[in-house]
Amino acid sequence: MIRGAVAIFRRDFKKFISNPFVIVFTLVMPIMYLVVFGNAMGGTITHIPIGVVQETPPYNDTALFKNGVEELRHYSAKKDDPRLFDVTVYTSEEKAKRALENAQISGVVVFPAEVSTDNAIRLYVDSSDYMTPTLIQAGVLGSLQAIHATSSVLVNKIYGDITYIQFFGVGVIVMAIFMTTMMGGGIALIKDREMGIHEGYLVTPVKRTSIILGMIMSGTVRAFLSGFIIFMVGVLITGVMIQSAEDFFLAIVVILIASVGVTSLMVSIASRFNNQQEYASTTAFFNLILFMTSGAFYPTIGMPDWLRWITVINPEWYSVHALRSIILRGQGLSVIMPDLTALLVFSILAITLGIMTYRRTLE
Amino acid sequence: MNSSDHHPAGSPFPAPATDTCAITSGGSIIRIDHISKVFAERNRTVTAVDDVTFDVRRGEIFGLLGPNGAGKSTLIRILTTLLAPTSGTACVNTYDVVRDPEKIRGIIGVCPQNSTLDVELTAYDNLEFYGKLVNVDDSILPARIQELLEMTGLSDRALMPVATFSGGMRRKLEIVRAFIHHPLILFLDEPTIGLDPESRREVWQQITRLNDEKTTIILTTHYMDEAERLCNRIAFVDKGKLISLDTMDNLKRLIPTGDIIEIGSDKDTGPLAELIAALPGITSAEQKKQKLIITAKNGSRVIPAIFSVFERSGIPVTSISVRSPSLEDVFIYLTGRKLDEGNNEAAQQNGHGRVR
Repeated sequence: MIRGAVAIFRRDFKKFISNPFVIVFTLVMPIMYLVVFGNAMGGTITHIPIGVVQETPPYNDTALFKNGVEELRHYSAKKDDPRLFDVTVYTSEEKAKRALENAQISGVVVFPAEVSTDNAIRLYVDSSDYMTPTLIQAGVLGSLQAIHATSSVLVNKIYGDITYIQFFGVGVIVMAIFMTTMMGGGIALIKDREMGIHEGYLVTPVKRTSIILGMIMSGTVRAFLSGFIIFMVGVLITGVMIQSAEDFFLAIVVILIASVGVTSLMVSIASRFNNQQEYASTTAFFNLILFMTSGAFYPTIGMPDWLRWITVINPEWYSVHALRSIILRGQGLSVIMPDLTALLVFSILAITLGIMTYRRTLE
Repeated sequence: MNSSDHHPAGSPFPAPATDTCAITSGGSIIRIDHISKVFAERNRTVTAVDDVTFDVRRGEIFGLLGPNGAGKSTLIRILTTLLAPTSGTACVNTYDVVRDPEKIRGIIGVCPQNSTLDVELTAYDNLEFYGKLVNVDDSILPARIQELLEMTGLSDRALMPVATFSGGMRRKLEIVRAFIHHPLILFLDEPTIGLDPESRREVWQQITRLNDEKTTIILTTHYMDEAERLCNRIAFVDKGKLISLDTMDNLKRLIPTGDIIEIGSDKDTGPLAELIAALPGITSAEQKKQKLIITAKNGSRVIPAIFSVFERSGIPVTSISVRSPSLEDVFIYLTGRKLDEGNNEAAQQNGHGRVR
């Protein structure tokens, strides 16, 4: 009994040792989790962009406004923290609110005019972001306390109360796309290669471009279907309201383009790997990096700068942002246009990479 | 490598190197000229194909014969554009394997050593998928698939997944799949490896039928009987080199000794060997184990003389057989080794260059 067990142990262990790539990855992954997950989730949110504006008319600034802005600019939650807000002064309430709607800023503080009767300060916050509204509210109240202002504060959540499940639900759509593509599609692709089905392609007149495009097309359909199903299920579970048919259509467009992007990335990665283990390790790594920095779990504003840079090249970040704009904020094409453009550019680059690196001959 | 030495000396307009393959040389459909393939491994190089030159004639069944790791598959991979040669030129029909791989892929059918069938798909789906890859017109594809399925006797299993097929059925399906677009040349790499005798016979019939449709067939094998049965001409390959290329009959004539007579006896026949060797028409005689092995130019003529020697010495004969030399004997004669002995080092290199 022992002899057999030892034989099996030795055989498994030899295989484990003979694959340094997987060993390195199994050791690096927990460290990566620590660094990426830790920083992505635990970071202190600072430098929240907010707007301030003085009610008009009259047009002269009140003392409360001056002191208030000055205090907001320097306010920080704890003594040694960086300041909490990046303050922009707007000349009219209308402009400030437009900036808030376009998600350029996360909140607007409207100070009362001199002639105001109730002397109340109005605070508008972008409630589609999960963490920041509470922080803004606490920061504004703290600042007012510091300057001994007695005005009452009226808080207005412009997208209503959004729960975490709704915030996170959008991210899960993107996760579904990624999972279907990377786990399902990629593994199937490498299995085909291992079984020699690709060698069968290579001796036919079919073009390299056709092979890559065909694989991307089938992968995209699969990814889209799963993204769409999770979108519909998510709407039911989390209870978000899709405001219009246009929003529904836009969400589907974003899911489709995100599917193309992620699938193209998968095909170009998978066509360079020989074995499933190596591919699975790499995929786990990509999953960690891309999903953590996508803002699906936690607002990217809380991440350290080096991690936030990854979001710039992360197709999932653009997907999450676009979907959140549509589903939670009801924003239109004009707001998500940069996201769509980024996703398209990313897809084209990934497809090109896939075609260029696919080996048409052996060796 | 340069083609110019192929043209008659003094030709006023030697064809430029780019046209090497455009000149059809009579009956040859494949022309291989000093092809070599060297694989670089970490700290050593392995020469899988070593300066091989030969032609394949239009319409023949051409056999590449050699032990495992002899370089047969590498040669096939070069001709089917899966691998680029390290040096030398190879023409398939009028195209160069390095310069016009796309054109070649359109006129060849390939059945690789390792199955490339999708076992999760049905027989019909496999054929349909492949037919589309090799540009068979959609209007004739269904009829063509039916035709091929009937040819292989798999019509009633057309809609069953290939995973449920026996090894022989899969192999036949894969061979006709390679033939779906009526290729000029069909490459079969070890078509009957791992099959039972019944399936092998069926595959052989299949190959012969395809050859009757004017297709040139190139097959690699390390089975002697397969080559003897199918091939018009046979190329012996060993350790990357071409050892000999000829028809079956001519190859057998290479052995100077002629027929082989084996006489079995319960008693020691050693003393007789010398007597028999001295008989007219006998080339050699020696005792191996319980048998006396005699070679003679014409086996059946010398048997009476041999018998009289046995009678005179009073040693009883328990068995006797006369056979003409087999390809195996030819191979042993040419290389000094048995065909299936192979050589371990070479066998390891066989897996080289597979899609990974």
